[in-house]
Amino acid sequence: MSDSNLSDNSRDIIIDVDLHRRTSELADENLSLLDEHGVTAMDVLGSVGSGKTTLIGQIVRRLRDRLSIAVIAGDITTRIDADRIEREGVPVIQIQTGGACHLDGELVRRGLERLDLDAVDLLIVENVGNLICPAAFPVGSHRRVVLLSVTEGPYMAVKHPIMVRQADVAGINKIDLADAMEVDVAKLAEDVRSVHPEIEVVATNARAGEGIDEVIAALGLSGANSGSDGPTENEGRDA
Amino acid sequence: MHDVAAAQQIAATVLQTANEQEAELVRRIEIALGAMTMIDAEQLEFWLKQGLRGTVADDATIVIEQMPLRARCRSCKYEGEIEVPDDPIYHLMPFVPTCPECGADQLEVLGGAECVVRSIRVSDAEIADEA
Repeated sequence: MSDSNLSDNSRDIIIDVDLHRRTSELADENLSLLDEHGVTAMDVLGSVGSGKTTLIGQIVRRLRDRLSIAVIAGDITTRIDADRIEREGVPVIQIQTGGACHLDGELVRRGLERLDLDAVDLLIVENVGNLICPAAFPVGSHRRVVLLSVTEGPYMAVKHPIMVRQADVAGINKIDLADAMEVDVAKLAEDVRSVHPEIEVVATNARAGEGIDEVIAALGLSGANSGSDGPTENEGRDA
Repeated sequence: MHDVAAAQQIAATVLQTANEQEAELVRRIEIALGAMTMIDAEQLEFWLKQGLRGTVADDATIVIEQMPLRARCRSCKYEGEIEVPDDPIYHLMPFVPTCPECGADQLEVLGGAECVVRSIRVSDAEIADEA
C-alpha cells in the first residue's frame, strides 16, 4: 500500500487476516484439544427437520452404557433439541447462535470449555439445520455425518454435493415414508455415492430405531457389546 | 445470514486492530472477497456498516475487491480461472464449479475461497512519531 496520498495523521495498517482460513484453524485447535483429552468427536449435519436430534438420541441410547457421552447442540434460538437429548441422561451444552445459520469453531470451543473433557469419551455436535453454510465452517470433529431424509425430496445429494463430500457417513432417514414421498431410497443412495464414492451410506428410520446400529458401525463406534452384527462395511438396509 | 457472520468477524477484526493501534478513527477498510465464499458483496457491505455503527469505524469507506475462482482440474490438469455465475439461486444451494475444458467437477480450488481483511486506514488522535 502506498502512503503517498495520506493526509497529515492517517496511516495504513496491513492486517491480511483470512477469515476463511481462520475458520479451519479454529477447527484444528478444537481437534487438538479433543485429542489431548482422548475425546472422539462426531458432528451431525442436515436440513431442518431431517431427524438430527432423533438420530443423536438413538445413538446416545445405544452407547451411553458403554461410553461417556456429551452433546453440543446448536440451534438458532430455542432449547427444544437440547432438552430432548438431555432426557437421554447425558450432559448437553446448548449453543444458541442468535440468528447465525451455522456453528463455527469458535462457538464449539466455548461449548468445550463448559465440559469436563477428561470425563467424556464421545462428543456429538449437532449443527444448525442447514446444508449450505455449515459446509464452510468446520467445527473440529473426527467423523462427520450428513443426514438426508426422504421428505426433503429426491434431489438432496446432487443439490448439496459440497456437504456430502465432507461427510464420512450419510444417513438417508425416514425410509418408512419413502413410498408416500415417491422417493427411491436406492437411487438417493446411488446419488450420494456418485458425488462421494468413499462415503458409507445407511438407510434409517431414526424414530423407530431402524439402521442406528449400522450408523454406529459406519462411524467405527461399534464395541464388542454394541449389539451390531456387521463389520464396519455397512451398506444399510435398502441403500 | 452467512453474510452476517462474515460481517461480524470483519467488524471484530477491524475494531480490535484499531483499538490495539490506538486509532481515533478508521477511515477505510479493504477486503478481498473470493467468488467461492458465496457471500454477496453488497450484503456484506450492508451488514458490515450495521456492525460498525457507533464505533470508531462508523464512517469508514468499505472497499471490497472480488477475487475470482482459480482452480486446477484433477482430471485433465486444466489450471486457471473459472467463472462463477452471479445467480441468486446460489444463496440457496452451493455452486459446484466444473472444469471449462473437460467438465469434471473434481477441482482443487487454488484461490477464490478467501475472505481477507487486508488493511485499514486509520487516523490517530496525535500524529504518530514515525509518521
